[in-house]
Amino acid sequence: MVAAALLGAACVAWAAYPAGATGRSGVTILVLAACCVVAGAARLAATGLAAPQASRSSYESTPLRLWHTASGTLLRVPWAEGALLGALVLEAQHRSRPWHTGLLGAALLGYLIATHLAESAAPRGALRRQLPVLAAGFGLLMLAAGAAFLPSAGTGLSADWLRVAAAVAAVAIGGLVLPR
Amino acid sequence: MVTPGQTAAGYRPAGRGDAGGRAPGPVLRWGMSAHARRLLTLALAGLVVAIITGRGEFAGVAAPAAALLATWRRDRPGSVQVTVTLTATRAVEGEQAAVQVTVEGQGEHSVQAVLHPARTIVPLPGPGGQAAGIANGSQVRLPFAVTRWGRHRVGTLEIILRDRWRLVQGTLVLTLPRLDCYPRPAIQQTRVVLARLPNRLGEHPARVPGEGIEFAGVREYAPGDRQRSINWPATTRRGRLQVNTFAAERSQDVVILMDATPDAGEPGHGAVDHALRGATAAARAYLAARDRVGLITYRYQVRWLVPGLGERQFYRIAEAMLTDQGAWSADTGFSRLPRAALPPGALILVFSALLDHRLVETLRDMRERGFPVLIVDVLTGEPGTGRTRIGRLARRIWRMEQEAIRFSLRELGIPVVHWDGEQSLDLPLAPYVRRPVVARR
Repeated sequence: MVAAALLGAACVAWAAYPAGATGRSGVTILVLAACCVVAGAARLAATGLAAPQASRSSYESTPLRLWHTASGTLLRVPWAEGALLGALVLEAQHRSRPWHTGLLGAALLGYLIATHLAESAAPRGALRRQLPVLAAGFGLLMLAAGAAFLPSAGTGLSADWLRVAAAVAAVAIGGLVLPR
Repeated sequence: MVTPGQTAAGYRPAGRGDAGGRAPGPVLRWGMSAHARRLLTLALAGLVVAIITGRGEFAGVAAPAAALLATWRRDRPGSVQVTVTLTATRAVEGEQAAVQVTVEGQGEHSVQAVLHPARTIVPLPGPGGQAAGIANGSQVRLPFAVTRWGRHRVGTLEIILRDRWRLVQGTLVLTLPRLDCYPRPAIQQTRVVLARLPNRLGEHPARVPGEGIEFAGVREYAPGDRQRSINWPATTRRGRLQVNTFAAERSQDVVILMDATPDAGEPGHGAVDHALRGATAAARAYLAARDRVGLITYRYQVRWLVPGLGERQFYRIAEAMLTDQGAWSADTGFSRLPRAALPPGALILVFSALLDHRLVETLRDMRERGFPVLIVDVLTGEPGTGRTRIGRLARRIWRMEQEAIRFSLRELGIPVVHWDGEQSLDLPLAPYVRRPVVARR
């Protein structure tokens, strides 16, 4: 849990540096991303503390009812997704710096893996089988960081199709991020 | 629902057409894991940003996540067998028990069991640094402790199956069975004994001569006395045969009256909790001395158990404390209690906070009818009336009223002793243990 929180904070800070280059919108996104990291860490810590629904009484006091509602919200909202979206948007607001973005990508993946291990209480070595795939992925990451991967979106039919694909992917992301 | 000790053999997820005609059970739900959703979010977000900004390095950010997602497989076990048992279906407050889970047929999927406890159940850490309420493996043990008496459901058990890539997750939720938790008996090693005991063999020395082991005196020899009881020193002094006499050993009838009317105090340390624990301790102590013990519970209505003997009677009493049905006889008033429930000459041991006036009047009536009554006062709290002048005055009046009730009972010859629920019962009962209690009309 501590590793997940530290990695999340490091990702957001790395993406935001330097904060002055992104303007007021960047500061806003930075604050939101930081809140998502903190809430995600709190969610990992509170997983075992929130009262199960089956045991809640109908005669709870107002403060206790508010606490149960807040803890339920904390457990349901996907804070990790919000943190990584915020980090990516912050990074995109800076001018092109491929190696910086490559490190951010590696850190984000580490953050997601640490979050999963913490929330599932997985034993050590649970992801050992995935190491070769992870190594291949990091290799691709380094290649992309070292060279241009996609042509810049200019004019023409191919650019329009790329924009449509981007819109469809954005809608899919929204559906994943929205809490169930 | 998987009942304890039974195996959900050949269980299949709902919707696959079970031709065997078995009753539908809990549903095993398969879906994308939260980890897979986050990886998908990262992959798609990286691609979108790469396309919008025209910067290829963001597509590289998506590459590791996409590579992991490319390992997605749809292989799932056809059926899963789950066996859930409780190590104990009866426990005492504070005792530990465990849920034992065995999962078979999961193939290469990893298994995790998560215990979602009910209100009075506290999960405990398991062996080997296992977190409380969570265990990994196909055969796991989830220890827990029960904190309060009553008949509780342990909670729900969530079994999570994950594939080797942790992208697909199957979830099965089972309702765990009930657990009977008995009140933790207080410590009581001494007993209050009446002066006049019925003519029934027991362990208490009586005032009449008999075949007991406690020396009572010396008398002159009469034909039929045993030779071994001759007291030779007394015989030598008096010049006539003298024999030892011993006190007869008798048992007594004890009726425990437990007041379960409005609870006062914190949950777990209120008047009803103390009354239950005290009544359980008294029942155990008197049954161990081979006395007949009965139970009357007053909760605006009266329910009773006929006095009985032995370990079986103790469990009848303990079960009756947990339930409103089954072991009890029909509801009635005190005036209609049959002779069997309130035998003449029985010691009536009352555990009450004396907050209900009808019960107080009933106790006065019992005393006037000749029953020896001893009250254990279990009131340990006061009403919260705030810090205003009127509140303090109200609390003072309330205290005086309670003192007056106790004074009036003592004036009638009913001993009232206070017990805080924590210390041994021997301390407040000590003045009445040293000598037999005499019931005068």
